[in-house]
Amino acid sequence: MREKTTIADEIPRFLKRSLILVLALSVAVFALLAAFLARQSTSTIRTVSRMYMSGLSEQISAHFETAISLRLDQLDVLARTVAEPKIRSGEPWEEQLIEDAQSRDFTHMGILQLDGSFDMLYGPELHVTDPDPFLESLAENEKKVAVGTDAAGNRLILLGIPLRGIPTPEHPQVAFVAALPVDYISNTLSLEENSDHVYSYIIRKDGSFVIRTGDAFRESYFERVRSLYDSADGSRDTEPYIAGLQSAMEQNQIYSAEISIYGEPRQVFCSKLSHSEWFLLTAMPYQSLDAIVDGFTSRWTVMVFGACALVLVMLLMVFAQYSKLTNRQMMELEKARRSADRANKAKSEFLSNMSHDIRTPMNAIVGMTAIATTNIDNRDQVQNCLRKITLSSKHLLGLINDVLDMSKIESGKMTLNMDQVSLREVMDSIVNIVQPQVRAKHQHFSISIHDISTENVCCDGLRLNQVLINLLGNAVKFTPDGGTIEVALYEEPSPKGEDHIRTHITVKDNGIGMSEEYQAKIFDSFSREDSTRVQKTEGTGLGMTITKYIVDAMGGSITVDSQLGAGTEFHVTLDLLRATVQELDMVLPEWSMLVVDDDRQLCESAVASLRSIGLNPDWTQDAESALRMVDEHHRRRDDYHIILLDWKLPGMDGITAAREIRRRWGDAISILLISAYDWSDIENEAREAGVTGFIAKPLFKSTLFYGLRPFMDLVEEAEERDVHAAERADLEGRRILLAEDNDLNWEIASELLSEELGLQLEWAENGEICVEKFQASAPGYYEAILMDIRMPVMTGYQATTAIRAMDREDAKTIPIIAMTADAFSEDIHKCLECGMNAHVAKPIDVREVSRQLVRFIVKKEV
Amino acid sequence: MTLQECYAALGGNYDDAISRLRSERLVTKFVVKFLDDDSCALLLRSMDAENYEEAFRAAHTIKGVCQNLSFTRLYEVSNRLNEALRNGPTPEAPGLVEAVKTEYEQTVAAIRAFKESAGL
Repeated sequence: MREKTTIADEIPRFLKRSLILVLALSVAVFALLAAFLARQSTSTIRTVSRMYMSGLSEQISAHFETAISLRLDQLDVLARTVAEPKIRSGEPWEEQLIEDAQSRDFTHMGILQLDGSFDMLYGPELHVTDPDPFLESLAENEKKVAVGTDAAGNRLILLGIPLRGIPTPEHPQVAFVAALPVDYISNTLSLEENSDHVYSYIIRKDGSFVIRTGDAFRESYFERVRSLYDSADGSRDTEPYIAGLQSAMEQNQIYSAEISIYGEPRQVFCSKLSHSEWFLLTAMPYQSLDAIVDGFTSRWTVMVFGACALVLVMLLMVFAQYSKLTNRQMMELEKARRSADRANKAKSEFLSNMSHDIRTPMNAIVGMTAIATTNIDNRDQVQNCLRKITLSSKHLLGLINDVLDMSKIESGKMTLNMDQVSLREVMDSIVNIVQPQVRAKHQHFSISIHDISTENVCCDGLRLNQVLINLLGNAVKFTPDGGTIEVALYEEPSPKGEDHIRTHITVKDNGIGMSEEYQAKIFDSFSREDSTRVQKTEGTGLGMTITKYIVDAMGGSITVDSQLGAGTEFHVTLDLLRATVQELDMVLPEWSMLVVDDDRQLCESAVASLRSIGLNPDWTQDAESALRMVDEHHRRRDDYHIILLDWKLPGMDGITAAREIRRRWGDAISILLISAYDWSDIENEAREAGVTGFIAKPLFKSTLFYGLRPFMDLVEEAEERDVHAAERADLEGRRILLAEDNDLNWEIASELLSEELGLQLEWAENGEICVEKFQASAPGYYEAILMDIRMPVMTGYQATTAIRAMDREDAKTIPIIAMTADAFSEDIHKCLECGMNAHVAKPIDVREVSRQLVRFIVKKEV
Repeated sequence: MTLQECYAALGGNYDDAISRLRSERLVTKFVVKFLDDDSCALLLRSMDAENYEEAFRAAHTIKGVCQNLSFTRLYEVSNRLNEALRNGPTPEAPGLVEAVKTEYEQTVAAIRAFKESAGL
């Protein structure tokens, strides 16, 4: 037991531990996953932004190149097509050139001199910010772009187209130079508004800005970098970056690096721009990208943790549910164990009770046998012993049967033997079995049966008997002397369908009743109410269990309703299959009948049953009104044929009523006494009072039919007697000639016919004598001839032919009736052919003979 | 031995006889009279004399008497013999004659025993 408890405790502990472990594990896994992915995303962003930056700067470079090339080409065209030919031809060219240049938005235009000064065609004086490379390139016949200012201080982009021919001090013109506002470049390249995040500068090799955007106010990018680094993150050494950038610019290489300004890391990309000494520097702070990625990451993290939480919640729920289930399982196990314990205990108790119960009658048997042996010569003593042995044996047998039944039930071997069963017979046999006990205890026993539409059902009759005997036996046992026991049987339509009938059986007593606790376990195995009140009562305590099991096996239900000291009612409900073969056609003649019983239900049910078997019944509830009804019918000359009279009636009782009927109306009416009990006690008194017979409750249709059928014979016999008497009167004294060769047959016939019908018989020993006797008699002397066929000397056929052939008045008319043991149709035919009137078969049947004689003698006279 | 026991012994139907003859007295009277009936002797004689017509009649008589007295067992064999002889002798007739004879003797023995014990 302790071990089990430990396991019961261990399971929740194990569950708790594994729950915590799983929770920790999942949290760790999710956190790791989140961290790993965050890092992965950072590096991915770096890679992506580098690619993006390189692409972007290539795009800007290409754009720059295109824009600058376009402008240079415009300027080139102006120079070559407008200026040069005119200069060569000596025509004035300035005006045309200026007009064309202005129309192309060039703000200034001049010719660059070898000394770096401008010969302005229009616009204020220009000044190249870094003239040396510009001049150098142009001198080498390269198109070139540079930055400059005019006299007004506007920052400008200068575009130079070299002039043909090497410039000399005589011809110091080096190139046409046109100017565009700096904004043109930045607008064209969309450096400013390119994006919120990306910004670009154009710088020279020394770090000075060509075009600045945003907040870059310093003159040199390097300076800016230095200062910003210093202000933001002084610990960082900016020089390697600047050095790297410079060396890359020196070698015209693309440079990419990551720097941090204001604590924000950013990607920087540097590439050379064509037609210039400029470098495009594009920077993108990660911040903005990071912000997007952070947003994504945070959402992602939230999702991950959400998922984690969800998984955890699910886990928790699963664990909780599992733990609940485990708990329940443990509880059920515990319950099962307890009930097993209880059953075990009940069994051992039962065994100890049983061994006591078995030993008691066994001791009696052994003891009585010993006594009988020692008193073998004392007949009375031996008889007494044998009686006691019989009683004890019966009791023992009952116990053993119960135990065997129970073991059958417990091993599941009990089966039902379905058979056609008559509920009437079942009830009858029950009543017979229980009656002696009921009488011994002076209990009032009543049976009420109503609404029985189906008497024959398919059921295990023996088991049904057993159920009823158990219930009734208990009722008798637990009801004190003088108590009341009521059995009711009724039927109603079954929910199982047309071919079933719901049958209710209730057994009710006003005995000692049962405690609530006991009612709860009455159907349990091996239980017996253990109180002093029932100590005297013997039994295995298995009866109700067996009963319950049988009822269950029949698909029915049994309920108990009981109150201590007030009584008990058992109610059995069974859905029984109607027997396919119904009771034979029960029909009786349409006698008028009277049913007298104070139980209205019994009357109505009996009347319905009587009607259904062809009778014509009335009913009433007391003797006084019954007498009135009998009187009424008598006056109408419509006497009742049969009266069913209850023995116990309010007021005048049944026997008195019977006596009264006999006194006033004689013996014509049959009176049957209805009795549920063995009527031997009252039989003599009842018979004396004029009761014709008894009919046993319960009054099933078949009880009534079989109870009344004997009276059909009586009535018919009486009617027959009357007929017989009439025939006798008709045939009395008539002289009949009987031809019969056998002495014995003659004697029998003569005896019967003269005794019964009063005939005067004369004997002819054979056919010839018969003919002679008839011949010798006066006409009309014999009123008829009974003729045997097989006779020596002359057969019945020959004799008849001879008689019919005589010449006398009655030769043709005298009735000749053949009497023979041969009853083949050819014999009968032959008889009639010979002139006989009829044929009766042997053995002699007085009734048949008299019928034929009446037919041929009396009716002819009429 | 009672009349009823006698009927049981000779294989007859006592109830049937009573219902036909109405009283035990008459049944007793006729049963005892059966001893005087010579039909069986006639049957045997006729068979010996090969007078089959007479034998048929004798068998018929036995059958008729048995019917009247409800001697069921004797009636049955005599009835079969009757049919076996109806249209002249047949191969099974002699065997049936023997059977009738045996049955007749048993019947007579039972009746004699009854008669003796009844002191008639």
